[in-house]
Amino acid sequence: MRAIIIDDERLARTELRKLLQDYPEVEIVDEAANADEAINKIDTLQPDLVFLDIQMPGKTGFDMLAELERAPHVIFTTAYDEYALKAFEVNALDYLLKPIEPKRLADAMQKLHVAETKENHIVPENFNQSILTEADQVFVKDGERCWFVKLSDIRLFESVGNYAKVFFAGNKPLILKSLNALEERLDPKTFFRANRKHIVNLRMIEKIEPYFNGGLLLELKGGEKIEVSRRQTVKFKEMMSL
Amino acid sequence: MRRAGETFKFELIFMAAMSRNTRYWLSQLCGWGLFALINIFFAYSFDKLGSPQERSDFYWRLVIFVTTGFILSHLMRYIIIGFNLLQKRLEQQLIIFVLITLVLAFAASTLENLLLMQFDLQNKTERAFKNNFLLLVLSGAFSMFTLFFIWNLIYFMYHFVTKSQKQQLDTLKLEALVKELELKTIKAHINPHFIFNSLNGIRALIDEDPNRARNAITELSNILRSSMQTDKLESVSLEKELNIVKDYLALENMRFEDRLRVEYEIDEDTLDQPVPPMMLQTLVENAIKHGISKQITGGKIKIVSDFKDSYHELAVQNTGKLVNGTAKGDGFGLPSTLNRLSLLYGENARFSIKQLTSEIVEARVLLPVQMII
Repeated sequence: MRAIIIDDERLARTELRKLLQDYPEVEIVDEAANADEAINKIDTLQPDLVFLDIQMPGKTGFDMLAELERAPHVIFTTAYDEYALKAFEVNALDYLLKPIEPKRLADAMQKLHVAETKENHIVPENFNQSILTEADQVFVKDGERCWFVKLSDIRLFESVGNYAKVFFAGNKPLILKSLNALEERLDPKTFFRANRKHIVNLRMIEKIEPYFNGGLLLELKGGEKIEVSRRQTVKFKEMMSL
Repeated sequence: MRRAGETFKFELIFMAAMSRNTRYWLSQLCGWGLFALINIFFAYSFDKLGSPQERSDFYWRLVIFVTTGFILSHLMRYIIIGFNLLQKRLEQQLIIFVLITLVLAFAASTLENLLLMQFDLQNKTERAFKNNFLLLVLSGAFSMFTLFFIWNLIYFMYHFVTKSQKQQLDTLKLEALVKELELKTIKAHINPHFIFNSLNGIRALIDEDPNRARNAITELSNILRSSMQTDKLESVSLEKELNIVKDYLALENMRFEDRLRVEYEIDEDTLDQPVPPMMLQTLVENAIKHGISKQITGGKIKIVSDFKDSYHELAVQNTGKLVNGTAKGDGFGLPSTLNRLSLLYGENARFSIKQLTSEIVEARVLLPVQMII
């Protein structure tokens, strides 16, 4: 497993590296001292795991995650538990308090293995870096609140100006991405462009009804009603009949 | 030990009660004594004591009057205490006060007239109205009422004044307590983030540079110790405070390495000046938190101590920018510094924080200069 350590303090990175020597399965491929450096390194190296300090100069760890296309597994490392609750809300794999207790690190590693084996069941057959699969997670930050969201949990993307509203569970935060950009990155087998303003998760459709003008009306599991434009209806029927 | 303390407390209360009683008896004696003296003085001045018979009658009458007045006014005190009159509402106090005065004035007058009759000490007018006892009582009650009224006035006035004095004292004590508590909580504050980050750094240093690690532990101990000890002190010499700041910055240097550069500009004569403990430290901590730690390339911190006019100037400059040109007062550092300055110096200290140049933010404190003997 390839990992990157992100922390603005060199000594903190050294210390974590030393602790991770007991886990040969974790290969530290690089280190970063601030958010911008980290974003570049994550984009080029595509690590499976990052150890992330939250308070860093320039941007916080949360800001950094929100800028990533695809969020890797994240273990937060922080000196004081003021951010711990927040980390729980964002559903990180785990968080570690510095100085890190070796036993806590062992627990975190255990959690990591569990998460890994779960994912291995749904390894995408045509692994393509640029396409996000259902198993991928994204990090969504809306003001003070943040979430790690599995793509399979997202019902709907709705275009709102330059932003897209992401519907999952009871939340619908905004992310700074256009619907067209999203469509290019999403797996077309799961996510379907219903009309100019909406991309729906096909697995989240509850009911399909005919609509006037030869269109369709989809009702999603969250109760949202989405109209499928006439042109897209043809495509939709084609996909469904396969 | 505790029991001894309780006995002591009890004795204190007892003594206070004693002294209050003594004061009451003293004023009671003085008051009625004064009344008797005035009567004697006037009797002599108007030459009413010509014959020995007149003199003896006068003195006996005076004794009877003063004794009944004395006894019944003492009874009045019993009633006031028994009713707990002083704790009641003002209107109630007034009504009961008039009622008691009236009733006791009549009682005193009745007693006096009975005694006068008994000992055959009545004067001519009284003898003339011998058969109309009610009228005699009524006229006697009038003078008794006036006296009791004055008595009550003094009594209530005295209690009113002591009560308000006690209240003032209590408020002062409370204010002092609040002040002390506030200072305690302010001083006890050290950023936990800093402590744990330092400990984490020290752990890494143990292998890398054991000597530096040992020093770092000493520095951290000094800071923790001073943050605990200063609870007891209102001020500390700048030299001591500066030592803490140096330890603190050494530790931050361990964490930030070449991202943090420190400069001192200290006038040696200011080293003896007393400063509020951990205040400079808080300002430096702020400079790191809001200045240096926000900069990817780090920055410089400069600490200045000098005499400016009649003030002792302490300034902390750091690389950075104030958000919207003003310092946010929502954190802990700034409000606590302002609070402490106003608690310790009132209007005599100044604090400001401003963008000095486009790159440098300065926090500046002016303290009144203390003469060192």
